[in-house]
Amino acid sequence: MGMKIGDKPFFDRVDDALENDFMRNAMASAQDRLRDKKLDATERDDQIGDWEEWRNAGEEIRRHTLENLDYYLDQLSENFAAKGGHVYFAKTAEDANHYIQEVAKEKNAKKVTKSKSMVTEEIGLNEALEDVGCHVDETDLAEYILQVGGNDRPSHIVVPSLHQNKEQIRDTFQEKAGYTGTEEPRELTAFARSQLRDVFLEADIGITGCNFAVAESGSISLATNEGNANMVTSYPDTQITVMGMERLVPTWDELDVLINLLSRSSVGQNITTYVTNLTPGVEEDCVDAPKEFHLVILDAGRSNALGTEFQSALHCIRCAACVNVCPVYRQIGGHAYGSIYQGPIGAVLSPILGGYEEYGELPYASSLCAACTEACPVKIPLHEQLIRHRENYVAKQGKPKTGEKMAMKAFGVGASTPSLFQMAVKGAPTFLKPFVKDGSISNGPGPMKPWTSIRELPAPGNDNFRTWFKEHKRGRK
Amino acid sequence: MKVSLFITCLAELFYQDVAKDVVEVLERLGCEIDFPHGQICCGQPAYNSGYRKDAQKAARQMIAAFEESEYIVTPSGSCAGMFKEYPGLFKEDKEWRDRAQAVADKTYEFTQFIVNVLGVEDVGAAYSARATYHTSCHMMRLLKENESPFKLLGNVKGLELLPLDNSYDCCGFGGTFAVKMVPISEQMVDEKVRHVEESTADILIAADGGCLMNIKGRIDRKGKPIEVKHIAQILNSRD
Amino acid sequence: MAKGTIHNKDVFLSEIAGKLGRERKKDVSLPEWQHQPQWKVYKNASPDDLLATFRQRSQAKDAEVVETDQAKLMETLQKVVEEYGGGPIVTTNDDRFAEYEIKDVLDNDHTHRWDTALGADNIEKANAANIGIFFGDIALAESGTIVQFNDKDIARSVSLLPITYIAILPKSSIVPRMTQATHEVHKQVESGKDIATCINFISGPSNSADIEMDIVVGVHGPVNAVYVVVE
Repeated sequence: MGMKIGDKPFFDRVDDALENDFMRNAMASAQDRLRDKKLDATERDDQIGDWEEWRNAGEEIRRHTLENLDYYLDQLSENFAAKGGHVYFAKTAEDANHYIQEVAKEKNAKKVTKSKSMVTEEIGLNEALEDVGCHVDETDLAEYILQVGGNDRPSHIVVPSLHQNKEQIRDTFQEKAGYTGTEEPRELTAFARSQLRDVFLEADIGITGCNFAVAESGSISLATNEGNANMVTSYPDTQITVMGMERLVPTWDELDVLINLLSRSSVGQNITTYVTNLTPGVEEDCVDAPKEFHLVILDAGRSNALGTEFQSALHCIRCAACVNVCPVYRQIGGHAYGSIYQGPIGAVLSPILGGYEEYGELPYASSLCAACTEACPVKIPLHEQLIRHRENYVAKQGKPKTGEKMAMKAFGVGASTPSLFQMAVKGAPTFLKPFVKDGSISNGPGPMKPWTSIRELPAPGNDNFRTWFKEHKRGRK
Repeated sequence: MKVSLFITCLAELFYQDVAKDVVEVLERLGCEIDFPHGQICCGQPAYNSGYRKDAQKAARQMIAAFEESEYIVTPSGSCAGMFKEYPGLFKEDKEWRDRAQAVADKTYEFTQFIVNVLGVEDVGAAYSARATYHTSCHMMRLLKENESPFKLLGNVKGLELLPLDNSYDCCGFGGTFAVKMVPISEQMVDEKVRHVEESTADILIAADGGCLMNIKGRIDRKGKPIEVKHIAQILNSRD
Repeated sequence: MAKGTIHNKDVFLSEIAGKLGRERKKDVSLPEWQHQPQWKVYKNASPDDLLATFRQRSQAKDAEVVETDQAKLMETLQKVVEEYGGGPIVTTNDDRFAEYEIKDVLDNDHTHRWDTALGADNIEKANAANIGIFFGDIALAESGTIVQFNDKDIARSVSLLPITYIAILPKSSIVPRMTQATHEVHKQVESGKDIATCINFISGPSNSADIEMDIVVGVHGPVNAVYVVVE
């Protein structure tokens, strides 16, 4: 299905979201809980020292790694292959899917298990595997819920099923999977466990994403809570890991810092329950490890950001801290963004990966309140990058409305010509007088219409401040 | 102390009373105020909408108007924050970048100036009300000014300051966001108004004209009996 | 071991270098990081402090911590096993069971010691086991974590498939946090050693909060976790 969610235009998606009361309540309460948990594990945790210093450490590591990305990818791939692993550099989603299809065909694989991975959602891997006759089982509880439900898509990069409540999940399990229990999360979870245990053990191929790869040793690090990534990478004979090309660290020392930032920022844990670090080269007679290990390193538009003002967007470690504090996401949820990458990072990343034609409106879905920038554990200036996108959209790639362009041109002239501005200040009360009632405008003309569609606009004052100030100064002398 | 007042276009158009209160409070604290006549608008509407060149026009006008000033004080965290963006706006033009930096370095938001530069935390104001305070995003996150308004309000006689839930969430103004993304902005401001109501305050105080105009506009549209005031109006009140 | 394959590397990396506005880099040395907060955490903590933190953080994650010494280890282990419903049991194939003189207690019909010669039967046994017992290699105080270096004998399944896992940890293996453990691995890499193909950091039982942010313990991995700390 790929990165894109739905075919409707942006404002229709927003309308759909705003009508979905359950989803909106779920988003608000999830944000409130996650915010507190994160603060407890970061700024308020005095055991770990100054959280700001951790953020600086994260930024420093990510910046260095991205500045030397070719070097570290070279090192990673050589070390991975030296231990017997197979590395495939994929320029596009199609390249990646094709390679994985070929592996599946060669292994004559029928059953595939997957642990949670946004990058495989991005490239639409499940469909590609189904096309070559594989049955794919998602095993992360949230992804499992989406998969059992049919065509549902992720609404959050850490908890993809955040928009569904337990009653909906119960109904889905009952209708589609023969579940007979209640809506208790404990029971629902136990059901998923019982359904998936044999699936794990019988799979031919296990597929994972990658939280971080470690260049110095050719290792892959996976952070999970459920234990499903361990299942997926222990029992099938073949493991395939798909990673965005930016998701690596130089050495194990840096892995420590980034796992800490990720665990605390995403879910407020001091470490996720499992951090599983896998390197090719298991012994021949090892029983519970894959015999073959493939690593697919994906570009798919990421390199568009290299060497540009957006390079630091590639520092992202997918913790969703920015999503969890975004007041716009809070109201519209994930699907309204029309991309599997939602919230502030989604609005920055989606146009880089998918272009302005498809995602050019997303950077405007922000009030630029900068809560995202403040939350980011690796200090990506997210709200500034949203402005940079808007500049690009206006200047070249996008199609801003002509009316807006003219208005802004007029603004530029007005805001640099004092006499014009004074004419406006002095003329406004007279010009708007017909619209004023009780000192307020309820139905403004022209450009004021969107404002007054939901709020009052104050009537421009009849007093002129500059005149008052002149007289005031004279009076004081 | 010589202070140049940057009154903001919103206050000049809509909130002349706030502008007068700012002048009177600063004068009472011993400042000598001048009003550079070339000032218009900080350029944020164009800047935030992606119209960099048009924003630069506004910025050049403001830099020229204020570069002779000793201190620049404005009753808006957001507009002060925009002045701080000026050097970045001219990153390819050294001459303007340096001039922008000089202006940015001497720019203060109104309460920040009183507390951090004048060193005053009690301006001798009195205002009897149960109030809550809206922390505006740009003041909090771009200026990193979280304390000055609370210090000043804490010393206003008769004022009871109540906590506001989710105070850190944006009110939905966001400049052109409020008119470009109306349905989203509406939900954001509604949630803000709901939290203000739940605080049981009779009056909402803020230090930014944009947020005030948005929240008050919505409160009035819904006919809620909550007053909305700029912090300068409170600080200029006497027994 | 046969070397693996690498596809499309040069085209891919040259393009990256081009976008970065330079030639491919052949040598990069790590900078001296300006910010290293990780080394300051519990820097001067004594072994007792570390144990106290380890205990508290483990309990916060629903893991039980039992303290004992080598003389009482066998007895403690028997008690814990009983408390958690007894066998069937699966253990790793680890010389430390003999070293700690607890091999005998595990030498019975209910207990399966991992044996690669038996192939996939091992997995079946582990899957049917009520309890898995293994040694932790390093323990992290800050997060109540055990680190396990897995190989064919120290099998991954022992900590993963049974309902309950019991990790035996020498008290001396408790370090402040992940920093010391990953640095240990880094040193192994630098010295040219092959590191373990699976290095597992496990903190308590598996869990999920995917349904309405409500934490449920015991998802795909174990439901219970017990750490037996040996003085």
